[in-house]
Amino acid sequence: MIQLTGVRKQFAHREVLLDGVSVEIPRGGRWGLIGPGAAGKSVLLKLICGLIKPDAGAIVVDGVDVAREPESRLGALRSRFGMLFQNYALFDFMTVGENVAFPLVRRGDVPRDEIQARVADRLRAVGLAGSENKRPSELSGGMKKRVGIARATIARPDVVIYDEPSAGLDPVTTSKIYDLLRADHAATGATVVTVSSDVDALRAFAPRIAMLYQGKLLYDGTAEAIADATDPTVRQFVRGELEGPL
Amino acid sequence: MRAVLAGLGAGAIGVARETGGIALIFWRVLRSLVPPSIDGRELWRNMHKMGNRSLPIVALTAFFVGGIMVIQSGIFVKRFGATGLVGWGAGYAILREVAPILIALMFSGRVGANNTAELGTMTVTEQLDGLRALAIDPVRYLIVPRVLAMVLMLFCLTVLGDLVALFGALLFAKLLLGVDWGTFYFSFVDNLSPADFTHGLVKSAAFGLAIALTSCHFGVSVRGGAVGVGRAVNNAVVAAAIAIMLLDYFLTYLLR
Repeated sequence: MIQLTGVRKQFAHREVLLDGVSVEIPRGGRWGLIGPGAAGKSVLLKLICGLIKPDAGAIVVDGVDVAREPESRLGALRSRFGMLFQNYALFDFMTVGENVAFPLVRRGDVPRDEIQARVADRLRAVGLAGSENKRPSELSGGMKKRVGIARATIARPDVVIYDEPSAGLDPVTTSKIYDLLRADHAATGATVVTVSSDVDALRAFAPRIAMLYQGKLLYDGTAEAIADATDPTVRQFVRGELEGPL
Repeated sequence: MRAVLAGLGAGAIGVARETGGIALIFWRVLRSLVPPSIDGRELWRNMHKMGNRSLPIVALTAFFVGGIMVIQSGIFVKRFGATGLVGWGAGYAILREVAPILIALMFSGRVGANNTAELGTMTVTEQLDGLRALAIDPVRYLIVPRVLAMVLMLFCLTVLGDLVALFGALLFAKLLLGVDWGTFYFSFVDNLSPADFTHGLVKSAAFGLAIALTSCHFGVSVRGGAVGVGRAVNNAVVAAAIAIMLLDYFLTYLLR
């Protein structure tokens, strides 16, 4: 379970990004997060992984407070995470195959043949079969995103975090990717946290959605009900209306 | 007046922040070496990239450094007929000062700048966070091999550069001043000791460490996308040049 309590984050000389955010994501759940640009969505994801520390509040993942745990002791927890970054974070000194294989290679207990088979399988699943020997610089933004998804999921982590999984993808590929995420979730039962600007696709994927705006969660409830939320900001954002508080 | 003081204060804080950042990187590198667990593949890759590929430019620079030493001393050698001192003069300047410092500046411009740009790009594209998310310490995996490779390679390049510069001096002394090989050789070996050679090598190791730490620090602390990477490269090269000059002064004083 992932539990955030009163999380506050402000970067130097900037406005407060997260102001007392509290949320509870059950083990095996699919939780989606939406919000305008620069609302702090990616920061929230990095806080969950312990990549950055909050100014206040607690972030507990399966009993471990990642906000207080020293960096040197977060390794064991992070090895159970898979993360897709907004900017892909593909290692440009490696090939696509090496990037996808990296989480398994670093584990050190997976035979080479099995790694190769799983890399091929993951790349096929994201529609990039046979791209093992390409360099990230040879790929388009959407292809990089898909390689990032393959890398995030190859080790079958307990918690998968997707930051904009469908950004830069065409509608058909977006549908395929969300089908893949759904299938992966059904197969592994992992806890999935997804940030996306594609509200409709996210609503179809995550049964529970929250909206972050000006440091606060304005909504945290079912995906079906979000379009009729009581908060006018949430309603306007989800419906994409021009008139409203946004 | 207040604006001037405020500017000086801000500058001092900036220098303190960067110096502190460099010291912190140094501390983290030292901590990562105990117990030593170095990614051999990364170390080898960096040594090849930083060392082998710098060979032509270092050799070219060193060759002409030798020539410059002879041209500069040529006026006095001719005026006083002091051909017997050319080997000593060129060798002393090359081994103790000119070769280590010029090769270090060349190395900083080529390897240090490239290292900052590479790490900076990795920072802004979240690759360092990507490593951390995979439970890999970026200092141990990326920074330590680069620091070791830079120190080792600058040391080796300085040894090679010394030899090439001496050959350059020998050749130019013969061609421009008519100093024969034997005179140059005996002037060199009779007046210089191995300490003159090691003096320059100690400096090269220190310069290598300074270039490595400054380039890594400015690389991993990049903010602001592509513009930030450009600024970081500029800052890294300037900081490395200042560090080289300061270290040169203090090491020359201590090793005199």
